[in-house]
Amino acid sequence: MIIEIWTKEKYARNEEAAFIARLAHAGLKVKAARLSRLYKVDADFSKEEFEKIASELLTDNITEHYSLSPGKAGLKDAYRAEVWLKDSVTDVVGESVKEAVADVAGKLPEAVRFGHAYYVPCDSEQKLKHAVTKTLVNEIVNKFKIEKC
Amino acid sequence: MTDLLSTFTSLSEKELVALDKACGWSLNAAELAEVQRQFRKMGRQPSRGELETLAQTWSEHCKHKTFSGPVSFKSGGKVKKYKNLFKETIVKATKTLNRKWCLSVFTDNAGIVEFGKSGKWGLAFKAETHNHPCAVEPYGGAETGVGGVVRDILGVGLGAKPVLNTDNFCFGYLDSKKKLPKNSHPPERIMRGVVEGVRDYGNRMGIPTASGGIYFDDGYLLNPLVYVGCAGLIPVDKIGKKVIPGDLIVSIGGRTGRDGIHGATFSSANIDEDTSASAVQIGHAVNEKKTLDVLMRARDLGLYSAVTDCGAGGFSSAIGELGSETGAHVRLENAQLKDTHIEPWEIWVSESQERMILSVPKAKLRKLEAILKAESCEYCVLGTFSGDGSLLVTYGGEKIVDLPMAFLHGGVPNFEKPAVRRNVKISGGNPAKPAKSYGGLLKDVLSHPNVCSRHSVINQYDHEVQGGTVIKPLQGKYGDGPGDAAVIWPQSATLDLNDFSGFAVTHGFNPAAGRIDPYQMALHSVDEAVRNLLCVGAEISRTAILDNFCAASPRDPEVMGDLVLAAEGCHDAAMAYGAPFISGKDSFYNQAKDADGKEYPVPISLLISATAPVEDIRGAITMNYKEAGNPVYLAGVSRRGMGGSVYNDMADSGNNLISPLDMKAAVQLYTAVLKTIKSGCVCAAHDVSQGGLAVTLSEMAFSGGFGADIDLAGAAREEGLSALELLFGESPARLVLEVVKGKEAEFLKLVKGLPVNEIGYVKEDRALEVKDGWSRLFAEDILTLKKSWKRDLI
Repeated sequence: MIIEIWTKEKYARNEEAAFIARLAHAGLKVKAARLSRLYKVDADFSKEEFEKIASELLTDNITEHYSLSPGKAGLKDAYRAEVWLKDSVTDVVGESVKEAVADVAGKLPEAVRFGHAYYVPCDSEQKLKHAVTKTLVNEIVNKFKIEKC
Repeated sequence: MTDLLSTFTSLSEKELVALDKACGWSLNAAELAEVQRQFRKMGRQPSRGELETLAQTWSEHCKHKTFSGPVSFKSGGKVKKYKNLFKETIVKATKTLNRKWCLSVFTDNAGIVEFGKSGKWGLAFKAETHNHPCAVEPYGGAETGVGGVVRDILGVGLGAKPVLNTDNFCFGYLDSKKKLPKNSHPPERIMRGVVEGVRDYGNRMGIPTASGGIYFDDGYLLNPLVYVGCAGLIPVDKIGKKVIPGDLIVSIGGRTGRDGIHGATFSSANIDEDTSASAVQIGHAVNEKKTLDVLMRARDLGLYSAVTDCGAGGFSSAIGELGSETGAHVRLENAQLKDTHIEPWEIWVSESQERMILSVPKAKLRKLEAILKAESCEYCVLGTFSGDGSLLVTYGGEKIVDLPMAFLHGGVPNFEKPAVRRNVKISGGNPAKPAKSYGGLLKDVLSHPNVCSRHSVINQYDHEVQGGTVIKPLQGKYGDGPGDAAVIWPQSATLDLNDFSGFAVTHGFNPAAGRIDPYQMALHSVDEAVRNLLCVGAEISRTAILDNFCAASPRDPEVMGDLVLAAEGCHDAAMAYGAPFISGKDSFYNQAKDADGKEYPVPISLLISATAPVEDIRGAITMNYKEAGNPVYLAGVSRRGMGGSVYNDMADSGNNLISPLDMKAAVQLYTAVLKTIKSGCVCAAHDVSQGGLAVTLSEMAFSGGFGADIDLAGAAREEGLSALELLFGESPARLVLEVVKGKEAEFLKLVKGLPVNEIGYVKEDRALEVKDGWSRLFAEDILTLKKSWKRDLI
């Protein structure tokens, strides 16, 4: 199960502006973008248990909301870049969240991995890929995929 | 590979070199031959684990072969020989000075000096570099750099409590247009990752990051330099440590995985496109915080007799060092692992982070285990310090390493390195007339990456945690002025709210001067650091300093020549300022090739980190103007020379002379200025350094929200000094002081006979007007100046 955490739009302006500036620095000029955090929780939990983990542990309900169906940013003609640490790389955030999930759910998941998703309206997947590798991903430690939303 | 190992003692030199490259050991031909000779003598072939152990232990990172080896230095027609460059320069100064307040120098993971009035505490201080890992993975490299230096503080004596982190970075210009190799990261990317790594590790561990600097030069385009430091408090009765034969070897903290294999040997090689990704390390600040909490409790209960950190070389280095006198028997099957697919030799040399090695008397293990469990800190008992003087490492029944400690630690061959003085043409003529007005130039200099505001970096760090940051990195009326030094009141460690003893920490760094004159660079860097301490009112007669050298390949005699000159400068400056070196580190092979095959060596880069006590933190001062009407004084003589200046980086003036430093005069001046600060005559002080006097005057003005009327006619100066040199030259040993109106007479009495002259006064009107006698130099609105200066770097 992948849990996606979003900053609510009214609070997200700063992080989005900073991200757009980073893309521009890498040669891709866009007017809008959205960002989210991803938690891949490998566990045999019910939907209710995942909901509980998402709402009570991973989301600040005042400034954020969550989704158990990742990939919906509400941006037209957007691509989605999903970035994770490679499986062979120690995921410190994932490890901490794994312990916290056990405290909340009463059961230890097999693994938790932490990642990011970036939603960028742009006319070329190639251009986005170039910008992502220039600024968001270090292919020594990261893996990523880009897909049309 | 296995074939080559099984015939190791009969391999040719060429085959040995090929094996070294395949295994990533970074041993040179002479070292490989010595290893081969030793195993021939032992009458057997080495195991992979033994060769890995030797490669780690003999690496530049662990043994510092270059700096502590023999050097033949040629300058003109003269040749000077050093048997041990480090001992004959840096250590010699400390030994000669022989300060009784130095409690531990050059023998442990950090230097320790006396702290506070009670006589119960020592201040441990250490700075490290983590350059190569940051070039490959900036975030992880920076995180683990911080983690490593924090562990040095945890591993000094029986453990100090960290109270301050420092960070100094060198990057290529963020807007550099140079074409980079395929696998390299652009400087903006490196900087962002490094800053985030330092931020996350320090913030998560609850250690304030409050002192540092950032320097840009295209010499660092492919080789960023990341200096990280840490200071901590230790009870003086916990400084001594001794491994007792029979003690258990206990590893606490993180688990062992395949991350960071060959970090130590990786640091001894130039970076190229084939650089191994396995050298990347991943940090886990929360694990290190657990380790810290365990250590502080166990230390105070006397539950272990020695401790050190697992840094470069992992268990191999840490257990090898701790057991160097006793010997050790290690059972690797007991190690806590992240990954089951790991070879025994990999467990032995892995540089997985957040691990400390303790020497624990058997009778105390149960009590220690109780604390470890209470803090949720993982641990394992790896074996015993045997007392037989040998290192025996096994996995199940299999022997992984069986080496005499004497060979491991004393067998590395050291050969003389040639060094020559670099030939640099010095032009000391009049600088070319600038194309712009001085006001326009000032705005350009203020916005230069090496001068402009660092707020976008500093504000990411928690510099307030532990509640002891008295003088903060950003200062002034609006909390955004560039401070000279941080002042820390470590009450979170001493728990004594009635003792207002604190300490100041700062740095001196000037690689631009080093390109021209490495000797003067070292003098200027020490002077800058001492002057910064003075600016906050620290007791500079008790200054203790750290040296961190970074250089390109020492195989280049000119690089070695730079090192010799800088080391000699360090010696002379330490002696003149009475400031002993208490610890230090060096990092070589900081050079790489760009996409066109062009070599990018870093310039000789010497970071001087300095600390001095602040007797009463309530008397420490900041750099911004405080009150309209107060007179402004310039202390020190402005001298000729634009060499190494920010101005020259922007528009070559044609003059590259580095102003020579008169250290005797500087010490005399600073001693008097400190008296004026202590007597309450001075309410603001700021050093003249990067950007020159015009920048200093501007920063004091806009940080305080006041203007100033300045007439430099009375400023002490060398004959023939041009207006350009006066405003933008970076001659050392100068500072600007704001004196409290009404205390001028007392102030002047204290500085009588010294080059300290009134140059103007602070005013309400927000204009900075500067003239030199009849010649009006510039008049600028301080808000306009601040706007030029306050750029977002990231």
